[in-house]
Parts: sequence; C-alpha cells; structure tokens
Amino acid sequence: MTVIGLEDVVKRYPSGEGYVEALKGVDFHADRGEMVTVIGPSGSGKSTLLNVIGLLDTPTEGTVRHHGRDVSEFTEDELTEERRSSIGFVFQAFHLLPMLTATENVELPSMWDTSVDRRDRAVDLLERVGLGDRLEHTPDQLSGGQRQRVAIARALINDPEIVLADEPTGNLDQATGRTILEELTRLKAEEDVAIVAVTHDEQLLDYADRVVRIVDGVVQ
Amino acid sequence: MSVVDALWRVPSAQMAWRNLGRNRIRTALATLGIVIGVVAIASLGMAGVALQQQAQSDLGGLADEVTISAGQDADAAGLTDAQVDQIRSLAGDADVIPQKSNSTRLSSRSGGEARVSVTALTQASALYNVSAGVSPDRLQSGALLSESTATELGLGLGDPVEYDGRQYRIRGLVASEGQGQFGGAGELVVPVSALADQRYYDSVTVVADDGDEATEIGDALDAEFNAGDEQVLNIRTSASIQSGISSFLETLSLALLGVGSISLFVASVAILNVMLMSTIERRGEIGVLRAVGIRRGEVLRMILAEAAFLGAVGGLAGAGVSLAVGLVIFQLLAGDPLLVLDWASSQYLVYGFGFAVVASVLSGVYPAWKAANDPPVESLRG
Repeated sequence: MTVIGLEDVVKRYPSGEGYVEALKGVDFHADRGEMVTVIGPSGSGKSTLLNVIGLLDTPTEGTVRHHGRDVSEFTEDELTEERRSSIGFVFQAFHLLPMLTATENVELPSMWDTSVDRRDRAVDLLERVGLGDRLEHTPDQLSGGQRQRVAIARALINDPEIVLADEPTGNLDQATGRTILEELTRLKAEEDVAIVAVTHDEQLLDYADRVVRIVDGVVQ
Repeated sequence: MSVVDALWRVPSAQMAWRNLGRNRIRTALATLGIVIGVVAIASLGMAGVALQQQAQSDLGGLADEVTISAGQDADAAGLTDAQVDQIRSLAGDADVIPQKSNSTRLSSRSGGEARVSVTALTQASALYNVSAGVSPDRLQSGALLSESTATELGLGLGDPVEYDGRQYRIRGLVASEGQGQFGGAGELVVPVSALADQRYYDSVTVVADDGDEATEIGDALDAEFNAGDEQVLNIRTSASIQSGISSFLETLSLALLGVGSISLFVASVAILNVMLMSTIERRGEIGVLRAVGIRRGEVLRMILAEAAFLGAVGGLAGAGVSLAVGLVIFQLLAGDPLLVLDWASSQYLVYGFGFAVVASVLSGVYPAWKAANDPPVESLRG
C-alpha cells in the first residue's frame, strides 16, 4: 500500500539573484513494510526530498499525496497533525530533549495530547530496542547508539505509517550503525511501516528493499 | 510537590518548568531582575502610603476641624447658646466644642512670670493631647497647662495655679503642639465656669472625622447662618490645606511608583533578552518539536509559560522581600511595623506581583511567537 507519493516534484529556493533548483521533477513513492534508501552525494537534494516527504517543506511544483490526498491543500496545522499521526522522524543528531528521560522523550510527540496515555507503548518500544533498563536515564547518560534507539522508539510512538531517517548512522561507528539498521529492519516488519532512509553511507544499501539514487536533484 | 504534580497535567507548563531548570544560573539571574523590580515598585508604593499616613496623623488634625467665630454682621460680640445648639444640630456626629477665651499672667512661687492665653471649655479631650496627666472628657474642676509654661514656672502635676482669684489644680500638661486659639504661646485650659461672667462664646470648634466631612459641615453652617453677603458667623475650614496635602502626597506617591516601574521595565527587558537567547539556543530542539507534530500554539504556550514562571517566582520572592522592607519602612516612619498589613499598603505587594507576571508574559510574547513560527526545516538545518 502506497503511503506517500511524489509526482514530478520541483523545489526551488531563492538564492542571490536567481534560484537554486534542489529537486528537478522527482517521482517517488514508499509502501508499507519496505525500506527505501535514498542515496546521493551531499548537495544532491536528498535532504530536501526527505523534508518534502515528511511534510516539513512544500514543493514549488508537482504533487505530494498522503493516502492519495494532495497535501498542497493542507493548512499548517493540518500538516502538523499529519506529521504527528502518521510520520516518524529519526535525525542524524538524534535531537533528544536533554531534560527529559528516555521514556519521556519517546512520549514527546503525544505529550500534548492528553486524551491518550502512551506511557505503556513507550516502555514497550524501549524494551523492544533493548533499553528496558534505561527507561529513566536522560540522554547524557546514554551512548550514541542508545540515543538513536530512543529516537527510533520516539519515531514509532504514534503508530506511524512511515518513518523518515536522515543519516541515521551518521553519528555512529560502523558496528553500532549496523545494530541500529538491524533494529530498523526488524521494526519495519513488526510495525508494518515504510522506512525512507537518506544517506551517503553505502552500508545502508545492505538493508534496503529498494535503492533510489539521486544526483543534482534528479533520480537516476 | 503538589505544585509540580499539578503542572504535570499541563504539558506546556511541565516542559516550561523543566526548560527553566536546565540553565539555573540564567533562570536565577532573570528572576533576580524581577525580584528587584517588584521590590522597587512595592516598597516605594508602601513608602508613599507610610508617608501619607504619617502626614495625615501629623497635619490631619488641622484639616478636620471647623473653627467658627462671630462674623462682622453678628448681633452679639460672640456666639450665643442658641447658635451653639444650632451648630450642634448641623454637625451631626462631630464633636462641637464651644470655647471662651481670655489671657492672663501666671506667676510662680519663685517669682517667675509667664503670659498665657486662657481657654475655657468642657470637652478638653477633643482638642488637647496631654504628655502627662489626663485630658478629661468633661473638664469640671482643675486645669490643663502647656508643658512649656509649666517648665518655665517650675510647676508640675497636682500643683495649683491661680486664675481670676481662684485656685486650679493642674491635672494635665498639654503637649507643645497644642491647638488653642493662640498656638505657640503658653496656654491655660480651665472649666467653663471660670469664665462664667463672659456671656458669649468666643469660638466654637467642630472636630469632624476627616477633612472632607469638615468641609461639608463648614458649607452647611455657611448656608444656614450667612444668608447672601452677610457674615453672621466667620467659618473657617482647612479644606485648601487638606486638598493641598492630599494632592502633594498623591504626586509624591506617583513619582515613587514611577521610579519603581522603571526598575520593573528594565527587568522585563532582561526577561525578553533571556527568553530570546534561550529560544535561539534551542532553535533546533524547537524544530524537532514542530517536526514530530507539536503544534505552533503548543510551542507558543510552552515558551509563554516559561516567561510566566519567571514572573511568578520572581514576583513571589519580590513580594516576600518587599514585605520585609515594608515592615522596616513602617517601623521607621509610622512606628508600627504591622501597619504594613493594612490593605492600603499591602495592596502594593499584590500589584507588584501582578505587574511582574504581566510584564514577564508580555516580554515572552515576541520570543514565543518567533520560536513557534520558525519553519521547522529552517530550524532543523540551523
């Protein structure tokens, strides 16, 4: 089932006198249960692609569909709601909040939603990524690999359909990166989510169901 | 803990509280600014009240009296009993004290002499404060004498003084700020019977509760006795003194509060700076919040809550310190530290706290708005 689809997406940024074209007519889709790795050199437009897929950025031209709905008609608050309910993010720099415990960091996306209590799911997710004994630790008490696991658990807290990972192994050594990727692969199947990972790390290719190469804003 | 428990149920407040805990020195310094602002505004406000109360008790005695004497169109050379009764009926609850006056020369056994004014009245307690002895409600026998004259003549409580051939025992010594007809000079206060041969009263003093009531009574008397341009009674109130004192003190209070509010203004600029710095520092973090689906309004509330906490904590601490300062001010100016608890002065503690919270939240508006509306793509990149 296709979660997200991009059709002929163009993204232009104003730059100096003219424009920089980061995406030059990209078609893309991701389905549940598959891991798509987008690989390309820096400046190739892969981060812009991830932002567009994650509804953090809107395309200049072309269409982005979530569940078949054109997101260009969404208001800012609807986009936020869509991100909250169906998209999970994993960042290169982890981006955990330093004053919250591991469990609270995992709960963060649903923290303002007082109608649901995600504590049990947060604990469950942390146990599944092997951090059952680190529930009350704050990020500075965790190693890099452990932090990225917390971030993965956070990405999954709201039962998303798609998890977007921006250089998920970028701040980790090779061995740790490998265990993180194994974790992602396992959860992809268990949670039946689409995973889109953006990287220039060839290691990710071993875990990908599908590889998309992007150079200069064009999918090869 | 109960405060923390309650906060726990409000996500914005919970996050705000923890964010403030991250950089305690900065939080403490921002709070200190607010504390100083609140102390300035509250203690200067209370100092104004203390000065006002002090001035009222020092000068208010002048302003709440109406002094009546015979006017140029009077039929008699003084006020008649009938006029005094009429004044009583118009004065309502206020004390009406008819007086007869004269003057004499007192001599002491040692040969000293002093010139004093003589006032004959019954209700001495309403007009005379004594530094020793008593000031009787009904002066039937005995006399009161100015302290200064008593000292000059070597007289004390219980000693006799002679006036018009009769002996009066001194029952009280009038404090130097006596309020008789001829203030400043020595004064002898005797029962009305001592001047029984004077047919009319020379003056009547009406003592009202305050300056406003005195003015009202004065106007009523004027309307009753003095038809047209006639001046049967000469009625003097200190309305102009009263309003002069009031307006001066109000100006003074406002000036003091103005100085205080400058401090609070400076403190809120400091909060604006602190909040702006901390939101810029946390730009990436706020970008993450927005990326994972936290709404703009929720980010806004979180940062406003941080500012409100700074204001509330600073305001409370400031009110506490101001209370201590207030106790000292009232001890020094009014002699009774507990007067600070009167609403007239303690209201400034409430105002100080209120202004602190309002000023802090206002200072938080711009940083909060800026953080909430920063596009997450930009903040995550930077």
